[in-house]
Amino acid sequence: MKRELVLAGLSLLVLIAQAAVGRVVAPQWCPDLGLLLVVGFGLSVRSATSGIALAAFVGYLSDLLSGSLLGQHMLLRMVAFAAARVGCRRLNLRGPVPLAIFAAGLSTAHGLALWALVSFFASGSPPPWPPVGDFAAQAAVNGLLAPLVAAGVARVYQALGDEEGTKLMRLEPRKFPA
Amino acid sequence: MRLPLLVVGLVVVATVSMVVDRRALRGGPRNFPPWAGPIVDAAVPIQKALSYPIDFARQTWARYGDLVGVAEENALLQERIHVLEEENLQLREALVASGRLAQIAEMRADFEVPMLPAQLVGSDLSAFFRSVLVDRGRAQGVRSGMPVISEEGIVGLVTATSERASRATLLLDRQTAIDGTVQRSRTRGIVRGRGTDLVEFEFVARGGEVEVGDVVITSGLDGVYPKGLRVGIVTAVSEPGSKLLRTATLVPAVDFGRLEQVFVILRRGPSMELLYRTEGGDADAQTASAGASGR
Repeated sequence: MKRELVLAGLSLLVLIAQAAVGRVVAPQWCPDLGLLLVVGFGLSVRSATSGIALAAFVGYLSDLLSGSLLGQHMLLRMVAFAAARVGCRRLNLRGPVPLAIFAAGLSTAHGLALWALVSFFASGSPPPWPPVGDFAAQAAVNGLLAPLVAAGVARVYQALGDEEGTKLMRLEPRKFPA
Repeated sequence: MRLPLLVVGLVVVATVSMVVDRRALRGGPRNFPPWAGPIVDAAVPIQKALSYPIDFARQTWARYGDLVGVAEENALLQERIHVLEEENLQLREALVASGRLAQIAEMRADFEVPMLPAQLVGSDLSAFFRSVLVDRGRAQGVRSGMPVISEEGIVGLVTATSERASRATLLLDRQTAIDGTVQRSRTRGIVRGRGTDLVEFEFVARGGEVEVGDVVITSGLDGVYPKGLRVGIVTAVSEPGSKLLRTATLVPAVDFGRLEQVFVILRRGPSMELLYRTEGGDADAQTASAGASGR
């Protein structure tokens, strides 16, 4: 529980910092750190229950700090967590290159899903289709930063103690009949 | 069993949040939820602290850039002041001659709009949306539906508030639409955000007269923004063709990349007032704005 709380607190700080830095960086070149954190959770957090709760928390914070409807990012971050979880089991995402490609693909899928959600909830005509260049730029930036963020999340997670791992490894003392 | 229950619960929470927030956006006061307001309020001082070195570096660079050619600019401005002083004098003379100066001076008080300076502390986390977080909230009299401007022109509209912070959706956002007029030809149309650094101006092809370089201002007819605020300058106009509507591309009057200080107009337009009053529950807005106007 301690690790999850620390990761949640760190995620909040990261998102706040991103919003501040985002004032000077063009939006398409600004990495989606919330998404990258969730990918990192998918790769490092052992418990799926904790991971999905953290992903939902990061999504909700993203909703608060962006112009989306409350719940849009929350939903999509949970899906991203599930994708990262499945991805790390089915694919070899241990190296930086596969992880970067995976994150770039996930970033594009996330953008499309967000557009679909916004269109679904928009009154009147749906919002214009986002420029392909912007999608590609952000996917590239996210891909480049994904290995770094994932490594950071893994390091924090390990530094705080892998309690469940320790539990699994612990050997119960054998009781011999007297 | 615990995981599926949690997933279902979280998906339900997300879906309900979206529906509730959508309803709030369509009408009625839209505040951050009570449990989320403190998070946003807490983010503001951190973002301010983080913004300080960024703003300092930007201002230093901008000032250095401004120094280049300052003498030439000074001479041009001096010349412009003389022209404007002369023009002002002539207009005053004309007003005095028509005996309407005192009447206009009395009317001025009615037209003065209470404005609250605010600082931008954060931008949107998602590249898909264009909004900013400002460091003024309900405690300072800011309410959803109030326009946000800068000395250059229209910035956007307050769409959510907490006690000490507000979120303003920018003119650039895909969900923004403003009733605009071309200053020269008085052609009316709708200004829409495209999610990029440019906006589009849609106008009726027949009779519409729009040229590159034209200035588009707010018409005031949407009942959201006051009349006469600069929206942008036309940089391209679509070919007439056979379509009923034509589109012009505008460069916003406000340089959003360098925006630091904005003003919240502490008075909602008639449409917004009607919209929010219909839903009720935000009757204190006027009182607050009246109070804030005294600051």
